Amino acid sequence: MTTKMTYYPGCSSEASGAHLDKSLQSIARTLGIELEPIEDWNCCGASVNHIKGGHAPTTAMSARNLAQAKAQGNQDVVTPCAACFLNTHYANEAMREDKQVYEEMNEALGAAGRSYDASLNVRHICEVLINDVGLDKIRESVKKPLKGLKVAGWVGCQTVRPHAATERGGNFDEYDNPRFLDDFIEAAGAEAVDFKARTNCCGGSVAVMSPDKTIHLMRDILQEAQERGVDCIATPCPLCQTNLEMYQGAINDKYGTHFDIPVVFYSQLLAVAFGGDPDGDAALNQNIIKAPKIAQVAK
Amino acid sequence: MTTTSPQATRKYDLGFARWVYENVDGGDRLALCMQCGTCSGSCPVGTQMDYGPRKLFMMIRAGMKDAVLSSNTLWNCVSCYNCVVRCPRQVPVTYILHDLAVVAVREGYKEAVESDNARFSAAFNFSAERYGRTDERIVTGKFYFSEGLSAGFKKGMDNMKIAWNMVKTKRMPLGLPHKIKGKGELKTILDKAREIEERHKGGGKGN
Ligand code: SF4
Ligand code: SF4
Repeated sequence: MTTKMTYYPGCSSEASGAHLDKSLQSIARTLGIELEPIEDWNCCGASVNHIKGGHAPTTAMSARNLAQAKAQGNQDVVTPCAACFLNTHYANEAMREDKQVYEEMNEALGAAGRSYDASLNVRHICEVLINDVGLDKIRESVKKPLKGLKVAGWVGCQTVRPHAATERGGNFDEYDNPRFLDDFIEAAGAEAVDFKARTNCCGGSVAVMSPDKTIHLMRDILQEAQERGVDCIATPCPLCQTNLEMYQGAINDKYGTHFDIPVVFYSQLLAVAFGGDPDGDAALNQNIIKAPKIAQVAK
Repeated sequence: MTTTSPQATRKYDLGFARWVYENVDGGDRLALCMQCGTCSGSCPVGTQMDYGPRKLFMMIRAGMKDAVLSSNTLWNCVSCYNCVVRCPRQVPVTYILHDLAVVAVREGYKEAVESDNARFSAAFNFSAERYGRTDERIVTGKFYFSEGLSAGFKKGMDNMKIAWNMVKTKRMPLGLPHKIKGKGELKTILDKAREIEERHKGGGKGN
């Protein structure tokens, strides 16, 4: 049985997070989720647009995506990107709950002949995997368990905060000690180490613009991963993945460390465990720090 | 959110606090803050802020507008939402800080206007609005050079290795920027949204 959902890939899917998109598409096919993209989707504004762009316009960016999603049907809107989820969910909930926002966003959309009735659900794909697909089905789909692979499950911030334990966020996990990522890792047949830094922040977009402010946050995450002797770190967030991977060189320069730890997406682990091609399905060739041990399992 | 927030006339002036309560997204809950410090204690970058969120909120109540809007608190927040999920009074701390950042830039506070965040946001906003998508090459390029030519080249060179790695792994495209088809439509919607934001003095609902 296939479930159709409306897919919001987000800008990172076309660049720094291309390997999240590719591996997610692969596991979605295996798990019977049809991801139909929002036609001609635009940027959500991430966590920075508002400073210059203002609030109503930033909310309106998501409103346009939602109006188009609704034009494609009543299916739930899903996204794998933490920032996309936060902004799109925010706009949707603000329009549902606040009459003024509802009217104003429809006035803005109306200028272009569009409208949105705030009737859709906006969901993070990890919540869908837990609540709709279920861990049992994920486990049953595994053909090549990642035996012997030690993984630090690094959830980061915005995948769980501030919505994971809310009704509209799908109530799929808790904030301080979320389980879902370790569950994915173990479902894939790998070992999830007890990773204290699991919900530590990498600095998000501040890490991109002013790495000096947050490089120590990333060092702490890498430090614990190294101490626990993991083969790789797995994360659900495209910005977390890029930040932690691309700044390892700068961190080593600054602190005299020797980190060289692969940072992969949970979806890459699952794609390999589901028997997919290491590059064609799991996009492991798109990681800068290679994770040969994962690719080996796939052979 | 377009009116200028009132300047405090006396050392302790509730005018600014009231303005924040009424015009900043989530500001209505600020009055419920009980100064417990859970937010500042949960903040991964609290120690590098001029003031943690708890103190900043007290300063808002005390009418210390200039100190609040020129504080680096607004530019250190990494939007981790620890404070939001932990606040016992459900004060949406992050949302309030985001809105204060908009106010600080709009009112021209030097520290705000010159912050990396404001310059980065301008570069991001340029790409997002013009093309409908953010192109990481345009955003980072514009951002580096927003500090001046030589700073731009230096930062660009520092990041050449990262950029090259991204190109090699097909995570940085080499062609023209990605564009949406409905660029004109997006512009119409955003122009109207800007007009709406200017129309009412609040409107800072978001993000
Ligand atoms: S956690 Fe909430 S109540 Fe406590 S100081 Fe911070 S904002 Fe105020
Ligand atoms: S969201 Fe900002 S203020 Fe709140 S804990 Fe995180 S960094 Fe600190």
